[in-house]
Amino acid sequence: MPARLSILIAEDNAADRMLLSTIISRQGHRSLTASNGLEAVALFEQERPQLVLMDALMPVMDGFEAARRIKQMAGEELVPIIFLTSLTEGEALVRCLEAGGDDFLAKPYNRVILEAKINAMDRLRRLQDTVLQQRDLIAQHNEYLLNEQRVAKAVFDKVAHSGCLAAPNIRYLQSPYALFNGDLLLAAFKPSGGMHVLLGDFTGHGLPAAIGAMPLAEVFYGMTAKGYSLTEILREINAKLKRILPLGVFCCATLLNISFQRRVVEVWNGGLPDGYLLRASGGERVPLVSRHLPLGILDAAAFNDHYEVFPLELGDRIFLLSDGVLEACNQQGELFGEKRLHRVFTANRQPALLFAEIQQALLSFRGELQDDVSLVEVSMVEEGSLSRGPLTFTGSGQHSPLDWSASFEFRGETLRHFNPLPFLLQLLIEVEGLRPQGGAIYSVLAELYSNALEHGVLGLDSSLKCNAEGFAEYYQQRSARLAQLREGYVRFHLQLLSESGGGRLIIRVEDSGSGFDGQAILEQQLRIDRLCGRGLALIRQLSERCTWPVDGQGVSVEFSWLAGA
Amino acid sequence: MAITSLPSPDGQELTIVIQGRFDFGAHQEFRDAYERVNLSPKRYVVDLKGTTYLDSSALGMLLLLRDHAGGDHAQIRLLNCNPDVRKILAISNFEQLFQIT
Amino acid sequence: MSDIHLDSAVLAALQDVMEDEYPVLLDTYLADSEERLRLLRQAMREADAQGLRLAAHSFKGSCSNMGAPMLADLCKQLEEVGRRDSLAEAPGLIEQIEREFAIVRILFKSERQRYRT
Repeated sequence: MPARLSILIAEDNAADRMLLSTIISRQGHRSLTASNGLEAVALFEQERPQLVLMDALMPVMDGFEAARRIKQMAGEELVPIIFLTSLTEGEALVRCLEAGGDDFLAKPYNRVILEAKINAMDRLRRLQDTVLQQRDLIAQHNEYLLNEQRVAKAVFDKVAHSGCLAAPNIRYLQSPYALFNGDLLLAAFKPSGGMHVLLGDFTGHGLPAAIGAMPLAEVFYGMTAKGYSLTEILREINAKLKRILPLGVFCCATLLNISFQRRVVEVWNGGLPDGYLLRASGGERVPLVSRHLPLGILDAAAFNDHYEVFPLELGDRIFLLSDGVLEACNQQGELFGEKRLHRVFTANRQPALLFAEIQQALLSFRGELQDDVSLVEVSMVEEGSLSRGPLTFTGSGQHSPLDWSASFEFRGETLRHFNPLPFLLQLLIEVEGLRPQGGAIYSVLAELYSNALEHGVLGLDSSLKCNAEGFAEYYQQRSARLAQLREGYVRFHLQLLSESGGGRLIIRVEDSGSGFDGQAILEQQLRIDRLCGRGLALIRQLSERCTWPVDGQGVSVEFSWLAGA
Repeated sequence: MAITSLPSPDGQELTIVIQGRFDFGAHQEFRDAYERVNLSPKRYVVDLKGTTYLDSSALGMLLLLRDHAGGDHAQIRLLNCNPDVRKILAISNFEQLFQIT
Repeated sequence: MSDIHLDSAVLAALQDVMEDEYPVLLDTYLADSEERLRLLRQAMREADAQGLRLAAHSFKGSCSNMGAPMLADLCKQLEEVGRRDSLAEAPGLIEQIEREFAIVRILFKSERQRYRT
């Protein structure tokens, strides 16, 4: 049984009006009557009936005009108008429809047909009502969703932009809502002055794709700032994502560790399309291939942190992209693919225009803009050319320890798995006076440690690195020997001395190797090809003093500071 | 996109055939294909012969199947991958988790 | 063309719908019809084809609802005359309508008599 409706009858003929009104009342509805169009419009405005029965030809104002006005007043709400007419000419029926009529009822009236039409119109009216309600609900939900995304993005931007994407050697392109495509781009200076860069792509879209970005960014920035290595960061991110993400959600990512001073890049790619090392001289494109499963799939025991190392020259560029580029699809269902990308590379003359050219190629391929493309390019530049803020430290600095010494010995098993540098750095920057030099201290520690480990403990020959093949060979030997390492040690002796108006740090590093002639190596390094390590030269440059005991066992470096400086 | 599943006569193997695009839209249907069968097959085959495209959500769904089939002990073969699909599986290094033939 | 002045089946249906209001409906129809006839004559006097058409149209509608098919048919012809603006044919048709209405009126009056009590 349909609900009781309030129905407006507009009919100039009194007998017909009475008849219709009675029929409708008998069917359980409330009837309102008007004897011309103008009355009908006024009554509609006053009573807002849900349905109108409208005679076409009436004095004062005809049914067509009245229908138009009533439809206008009704707005989005559907107020069905049934024209009462014995009009037989097609033209007149068209006029009824054009005026907003929804149906017709011919004279003489048939009660059964009238009832059926009222019911049909009532269904239509309710349907429209439901559609409007649902539309409003969807609009409301969408508004909530967009607002949530805005908030999430604002929070995320604070985390993501704590990095160094603005550094002059980085160029990148990302849609403002890349986060909700699952794309993520992070870059941060290491304490040593090098740079970590991560391009990631989470499975899926929307909030589920964005949710993993936050913890990933926290780990990336937190660990990079503390001096953790690429593999440690990778392992931590992988373990964290594996723990928090639902099964089936993961993050394809490439992580770069660039050392401007040593002029190398370490690359780990799990699941992203090939990135490229674009050589400045000769224009060679070295693919940076995905060798691993994405992050967040494997447990810690199965996770593979092997990375590749490439030597860099000034002006070399490392280019990474998300799958949005290669998987851009045109109307014919073809994918953009690598071949088209390589054509853009080949045609490119000015590096600065590469991104624009890729976008242009995508635009002409698809016929419209692609909005889920993430591109980043990092250039190898002179070490000193990047300005960066001071290291940030937590801790109050109220009670700075000043007069102490400590010795550490890291042995075989530990050297294989543990990176002591973040640990030592954290200890040293407890000393407030050392904080302004934190970056230099870290760089020197890192150099001394890799020197001791690679040449002393592992017995690697640094002159191997003089050419590209040797370079690769060197790093292969390094991981092979490290994996086999059982014995050997690296010792750090740290001594803090209070001096008038400031203090002094003396770091001495020894290893289990056969010793070396630091002075001779330094002189040799200053001469030979620049692919070779510049380690000792750097140490001398960054520290205040640098000495080698005559027995060749160990190196000693010093840093000093003035209070309040 | 259409997904059908077909157990072998001895019930030891379940073949899931995927037609068309294999992406997030297939989520429920793909789960149903292995969850709504009243048997516990030892091996699974995912036939991608009619699969034109596969995205990262599909890779996630394959991981879910792998978990359902026993995680590291799962025996799952991916059959008849076209070059595009094979490329995507290769980039993700999924051959470390699945037998791709 | 129908040769029925008043359709008793229609009257029965109207009575069924209107119940106690049936006599009022009959009175209303007769009063309204007098008014339509007056308007028809006036429109003809004033050579107002559109007025003629409107009055004939309305009259036709109520006649068909009230079960007076011959009268409705005559009104329809007159409406058509008004629409075609051929007023020369109007006087003859109006005369026929007046005659037919006179008959219908008598029949309705006698129908009305049955409810006077």
